[in-house]
Amino acid sequence: MMIAAPMPQPEVVEPRDRAAAVLLDTNGEPLPLAMEAKNVSMWYGSKRAIDDVSLDMAAKAVTAIIGPSGCGKSTFIRALNRMHELVPRARIEGSVFLHGQNLYASGMDPAVVRRRVGMVFQKSNPFPTMSIGENTIVGLRLNGVSDRKFLNERLEQSLRMAALWDEVKDDLHKSGTSLSGGQQQRLCIARALAVEPEVLLMDEPCSALDPIATAKIEELIHGLKTQYTIVIVTHNMQQAGRVSDFTAFFYMGRLIEVGSTTKIFTNPNEKQTEDYITGRFG
Amino acid sequence: MVIPKHILGTFDEALTSLRNDLLMMAGLAERSLDRALKGLFQRNDDLCTHAIADDEEIDQLEKQIDKDGFELLLRFQPVASDLRRVISAIKLSPNIERVGDQATNIAKRARKLNRHPPLPEVQMIVPIQAHAMSMFKDAINAYVRENIELAHSVCNRDKQLDDMNRDANTKLTLRMMEDSEQLRGYFNLILISRALERVGDHATNIAEDAVYTAVAEDIRHKTVAASA
Repeated sequence: MMIAAPMPQPEVVEPRDRAAAVLLDTNGEPLPLAMEAKNVSMWYGSKRAIDDVSLDMAAKAVTAIIGPSGCGKSTFIRALNRMHELVPRARIEGSVFLHGQNLYASGMDPAVVRRRVGMVFQKSNPFPTMSIGENTIVGLRLNGVSDRKFLNERLEQSLRMAALWDEVKDDLHKSGTSLSGGQQQRLCIARALAVEPEVLLMDEPCSALDPIATAKIEELIHGLKTQYTIVIVTHNMQQAGRVSDFTAFFYMGRLIEVGSTTKIFTNPNEKQTEDYITGRFG
Repeated sequence: MVIPKHILGTFDEALTSLRNDLLMMAGLAERSLDRALKGLFQRNDDLCTHAIADDEEIDQLEKQIDKDGFELLLRFQPVASDLRRVISAIKLSPNIERVGDQATNIAKRARKLNRHPPLPEVQMIVPIQAHAMSMFKDAINAYVRENIELAHSVCNRDKQLDDMNRDANTKLTLRMMEDSEQLRGYFNLILISRALERVGDHATNIAEDAVYTAVAEDIRHKTVAASA
């Protein structure tokens, strides 16, 4: 069943025509890419927040973005689903490709982009007037889906994928805000998954959670990457080390280094990366 | 190389303490080895006794380094060069402890030899000890200075030490057949030569870890494969 109006289909540009893929698997083979940011620069008014960042994000893998506060991590992932457009005076240069389609091409509907590239925020934000069940499928409803049987199936499927079904299946009518912080965050993940995005962006999804709730989210991320491409912003080095396959280090709006997480956390190429991850930034 | 300090001062203090304990341990092992060999060459039992006594402190330092290393991993979760330094310290200390054990072995054998008339074949140990000692000192230096060229040179010298030990073994075995009166003495010299050959092996392990610490490259077993 289609869950929304047909999406505009801009021309697909093959990766070789944009730039060579730089992410390699353990055998040295190029990895298929889900997203590619090309020469992205962003401004809030006259303040430049992102400076000419090009970053490839491998499909069905977790890419962690790390860096000190104000380095542009959150701004950058907002560019990946055009969320920054909701901020007054924000503007962007460059391109973002999702499976070869330029998300900034003319005719590309930002609402459709945000459905294909879902987002989970630092603070869980279930709709307070909606039940757990309604929160989960609100995205589908907003896209015009009304088939009750389909909605119920997707409701259970999404909550199961978010590892929340067993905890809430008897309380679907209760308010989303009645859940604990960790459960609310998983509800937000279920809500993002319900519209079947291709990429899931997570902006410090565990920063307000206790270690047990954090572990559940991290376990969830590990499971989800078999089906989804995940880009996570985190301040927690250990979390980046645990959950991600690739790590990108941002500093003062620039991408300093990207590589396999093992490489970045054992022997980064750049001194700035080394100084940051080892806690030597003064 | 000047390494910038961590924002967390206690992290720097813990890393410095770990490094100092390791250097102290290496210094004691070197001194113990030196005393054991001087005890052999100068027929001085007191030096041998001092060498044996050093081993207790070396053993305690090994336990201290393990404890501090684990605590550092637990409290500070080091990454990158810090992680490599901690892991290397934990891996280096058993090698240094084994060098201390070899010094004790040599000292005990030297005391036995000192009870009997001097054997001119003791001179066969001189070049072997010089080679083994230089390998050990250079391995520690390579670790301290993160000098990968020096570390590689240590690894490359191990085969020569093996050959020197094998040569001494052959000659001393022949002497055992020729002069059965001094059987025990020659046997003790064979074991001293073997102990020094083991010192070279530990120095090689330390040098390999020095390379890993400096540039995150694992060169173990490559050296053997290349020289085979």
